[in-house]
Amino acid sequence: MSHIEEIPCIEVLSSVVFIIEGVAEESRNPQAIASHLNSCLACQAEVDHEQAMHILLQDALRRTCDERAPEELHRSIHEELLRQATGGAGVTEVVTQFSMTEISIEIDEFGNVEHREIQIEQTHVERYEDS
Amino acid sequence: MASKDLVLESATDRNARFERDAIVYMDKLYAAALRYTKNPEDARDLVQDTYLKAFNSFHQFEEGTNLRAWMYRVLTTTFINSYRKDQRRPQLASGELEDWQLAEAQSHTSDLGKSAEAEALENLPDSDIKRALQEIPEEFRIAVYLADVEGFSYKEIADIVDVPAGTVMSRLHRGRKLLREKLSDYAKELGYSTDSKKSGKGEKS
Repeated sequence: MSHIEEIPCIEVLSSVVFIIEGVAEESRNPQAIASHLNSCLACQAEVDHEQAMHILLQDALRRTCDERAPEELHRSIHEELLRQATGGAGVTEVVTQFSMTEISIEIDEFGNVEHREIQIEQTHVERYEDS
Repeated sequence: MASKDLVLESATDRNARFERDAIVYMDKLYAAALRYTKNPEDARDLVQDTYLKAFNSFHQFEEGTNLRAWMYRVLTTTFINSYRKDQRRPQLASGELEDWQLAEAQSHTSDLGKSAEAEALENLPDSDIKRALQEIPEEFRIAVYLADVEGFSYKEIADIVDVPAGTVMSRLHRGRKLLREKLSDYAKELGYSTDSKKSGKGEKS
């Protein structure tokens, strides 16, 4: 079977960010890291600690960074978008769609019926610059 | 390529779709903008600009892809291009993982150090957490914010910030480390000891 390389603690510790991000398999040497972690209690403890700290830090950041946009900003963005949408942008778009179905039925001298339908669709977009 | 449906969508429908789908992110984008710009006036302007830009390029957005990530991308690009105070701040070299992984020697933390660090993080007031975020360099702050507050994966962040995924990993690693160092400094000032010797109430230096 394939031989798994032995790596020092420092190499495991410097890959902890991959484990934290849940993408351990994308680190440089995933098998060697997994096998090191299986046998090194100190590194296991370090990974556990880093994970616990990560969750604490994440909780603290999420708890803290929860400002809401001021009501006035909501309003002014809504108004600005409205202005852009109606005239502000200076473009009116007219979309015309045509659709037609041609049906033909032929009966030959032996009484066989041949039925055909052809669907024709066309879309036409016109843009008018206002002002 | 745009799908047939998008071609047939009228400008009015598209506008309505934008308002319906994108407006829900405003509070979150504002909180992010506060972290980016560090002040409420710039944050408001940044969010407003972001919505305008997003609105005007909404036809380029591919429906079915991640609108939230796209909005953050517009926010971040707008910030980097127009709001950054220090325009000439050098970007970190498009980092190979090896550079930082090997450069930073790490060692195991003592058990006492571990519990003290956890205690500090749990007890620090919100204002200190915000201050620590403000004090770490911008590229780290943005990466950590997008990952830890917004929950984007490092690959999504690479796309939002427009840097290689390996660089994002390195920014997350270093950014979180810097942040925790700041926080344990504040904790010390407040009297929580994060030293490995148990010293009880803090000695202010």
